[in-house]
Amino acid sequence: MNKEIKDSTVQMEINFAGIQIANPVFLASGTCGYADELSNFLDMSDLGGLVTKSITLKPRAGNPPPRIVETDSGMLNAIGLANLGLDAFIREKIPILEQLKTAVFVNVAGQTIDEYRAVIDQLAALKAIDGFELNISCPNVKQGGITFGTDPQLVEKITYAAKKSCGSKPLMVKLTPTVTDISATAQAAVQGGADALSLVNTFTAMVIDIETRKPVLANRTGGLSGPAIKPVAVYLVHKVYTDVARKAGIPILGMGGIRTASDAIEFLLAGASAVAIGTVNFIQPNAAESIVKGMHAYCQNHDIFRISELTGGLQ
Amino acid sequence: MKTGKQSGTRGLYAGTVLSNNQIRSCFWKIILAMDSPGSQAFATTNPGQFAEFDLSTVSIPPSDTIPEHLRDASARQILLRRPFSFSDVSISYLSEGVCTKIEVIYCVLGPATVRMTTLKKNDQVSILGPLGNGFWYPKDLKNALLVSGGIGAPPILHLAGFLKQHYPDICVTAFAGAKNVDKIPFHVRIGNKTGIVIEDFERLAIPAFLSTDDGSGGRKGFVTESLRQWIRANRPLSGQTVLYACGPEAMLAECAKIAEEEGILCQVSMERMMACGIGLCQSCAVQIAPIEAEQPRYKLCCKEGPVFDSRTVAFTNGRR
Repeated sequence: MNKEIKDSTVQMEINFAGIQIANPVFLASGTCGYADELSNFLDMSDLGGLVTKSITLKPRAGNPPPRIVETDSGMLNAIGLANLGLDAFIREKIPILEQLKTAVFVNVAGQTIDEYRAVIDQLAALKAIDGFELNISCPNVKQGGITFGTDPQLVEKITYAAKKSCGSKPLMVKLTPTVTDISATAQAAVQGGADALSLVNTFTAMVIDIETRKPVLANRTGGLSGPAIKPVAVYLVHKVYTDVARKAGIPILGMGGIRTASDAIEFLLAGASAVAIGTVNFIQPNAAESIVKGMHAYCQNHDIFRISELTGGLQ
Repeated sequence: MKTGKQSGTRGLYAGTVLSNNQIRSCFWKIILAMDSPGSQAFATTNPGQFAEFDLSTVSIPPSDTIPEHLRDASARQILLRRPFSFSDVSISYLSEGVCTKIEVIYCVLGPATVRMTTLKKNDQVSILGPLGNGFWYPKDLKNALLVSGGIGAPPILHLAGFLKQHYPDICVTAFAGAKNVDKIPFHVRIGNKTGIVIEDFERLAIPAFLSTDDGSGGRKGFVTESLRQWIRANRPLSGQTVLYACGPEAMLAECAKIAEEEGILCQVSMERMMACGIGLCQSCAVQIAPIEAEQPRYKLCCKEGPVFDSRTVAFTNGRR
């Protein structure tokens, strides 16, 4: 077979929770803004999709600085869900997102179940939005966030409530790794009606300045991301895939420290249907492009005709 | 005439190292030639703007050459880019097009800058920029008072050269401060009668006043004390004078206070821990005045700064 014909036979397109997307690569929430900041670096139509920075009902200023600190092969962040709030999001960002030829999931956060619902209620009818990601795993806010995500009963309850507001749009639930048994929270999300699971959010962590004997971050703790967490994230994706997602027949958006196409392939083999890249966007704002290309090349080299064949392909 | 603030299209470019040498003590200067698209983008860089350097693949120097106090830090892996402002940006027009050289003065203080010292001629560095908003120049500007503290010096030097080149009629005076004589990030020499002379300002024919906290070089005390004395002695006209400052936050806060008392404008270049430099990570928050306990307001240092009108900033007085 000549190479050109072979090239064209790799099907990168996948169906993710009912949406046809160009390839299985997303930009992770909180690392791609609302797509506008990245337009100099990336053609969004080269991506499968993106998940916006968290939106809350009211604007949030976020935490005082320092909000980040670098660690070995990783970083801690404690941004505190800084965002412009629902009204400004609809006014200023929806027109930008409407133009994108890629799937757009809106990450939704709140302090109460009603707040989550209020945000989704107003967005569910908008054409610019393809689906929602429920943020019940932010480690850096005092109320809401991770407090929902660590209690399976609450996870089910909030997922059920949010799903009712989504209309025909898929709801993805983002899981925290900071639990004893992630399969329990994954199962709860599925029972609540989740159409997809995304994992993992960051790991609660701390860095101490030994001169001042204080934590470096003003919030004291932050969420660890980057290559440092990748092997743990791969394991947790595999665990949720085998314990919950495969049986339930719902896809996983796998993430945690992906920097290269090889990293992304690992997540697919572990059980993810698609991957999201996060911290690497801060270093190489065009990283997604080379990851998509690299995944395509992997499929060619391994005679994979549809990239979806890789999902759960772990031997 | 240039109007300030922002410049060329930001992007990912390659810089080729032309030289990388120690200036004095912990301070080094690196000069890089930008690739062709980078030369276009950086040609109109405004002082106060910055770029993010990827130093993650730069090799670590031999351990016996690493200062004792940086040995532990040097062992750490680097992931994120590091932001640097420029001490100069120069353009030459060659037959094959414009070539832009960027010059950065850096202080060796952690794992990235330790590695940076090993960059040598012809090495390539991935550079994301130009980023942020630089200083700006009001129409009636006649007096520019430049204040630098410690490693806040580079953008102030860039500004000094820029003003001399593009605004030759503006009267520029520089005030440089440092903890002690070892922490002066300039090229200096000992003058016959005058003590330490900052050659970088001398070259531009800009009068410069040096202060050190311990008196080991120049006047003893904070740079802002020199500044205040000078303003009281020279009474520059408020509507025609701008104070440009870069340095520790406590110094910037004091500059803002002096400017307010004297009724002059003040622009401050802020520093924050930063990951992306392009507004994605939201980490480089600068609190905005007035301070409201209920709902603090922040702007992003990378995108809405790093240069701010001092009246808009709620300074934390050096608190981390």
